Amino acid sequence: MLAIGKFHSSAHRRYVIRTMAFMIPYVLVNMGAIFGAFDDIRTPVAAWALALVVSAPVVGQIWATLALMAESDEFVRALVARQFIVASGVAMALFSVWGFGESYAHAPHLPGWLIYPLFWAVFGVVSPFIRSTR
Amino acid sequence: MKNRLKLLRVERGWTQEQLGQALSVSRQAVNALETEKHDPSLDLAYRIAAIFERPIEEIFENPHVR
Repeated sequence: MLAIGKFHSSAHRRYVIRTMAFMIPYVLVNMGAIFGAFDDIRTPVAAWALALVVSAPVVGQIWATLALMAESDEFVRALVARQFIVASGVAMALFSVWGFGESYAHAPHLPGWLIYPLFWAVFGVVSPFIRSTR
Repeated sequence: MKNRLKLLRVERGWTQEQLGQALSVSRQAVNALETEKHDPSLDLAYRIAAIFERPIEEIFENPHVR
């Protein structure tokens, strides 16, 4: 998630509210899964429904980030866009390397949903180094 | 892009926050302009020129003119 506290615009306040609205249910559903709340799900339809429910906050969070860019001034929009693009590229590259490691080097399998936390981890690492839109 | 934005702002006794409000941009945007971390769009450059009542080239150095 984007750093909060540095910016105080209404767009950033909306972003924080939206992020909380999406991440709280995301954490609750995943905690429910960890503690076995969905262990009785058997049918493929119910399993896919659960997958979509867990994924929905991820989609929402990405929308919240894009909405922040749309609602911000040109500097913030360009800065977040640069950070988003670099983080996406690095995360995809890292995950691709691991994927080929699984295919050719017997690396342990990692679930695909890890690309999302990986993206935000990379975002957090690269953002302090991307402070210019030039 | 080199510019005289900070000088003009300080001359008027404005804070970055105040100039940002006048331009409808964040304080961070004003700071980025002053520290040459962001080149303004043509629209923003015209808004800045209008607020300071000066031509754009008196505020922003044209990098293509020697």
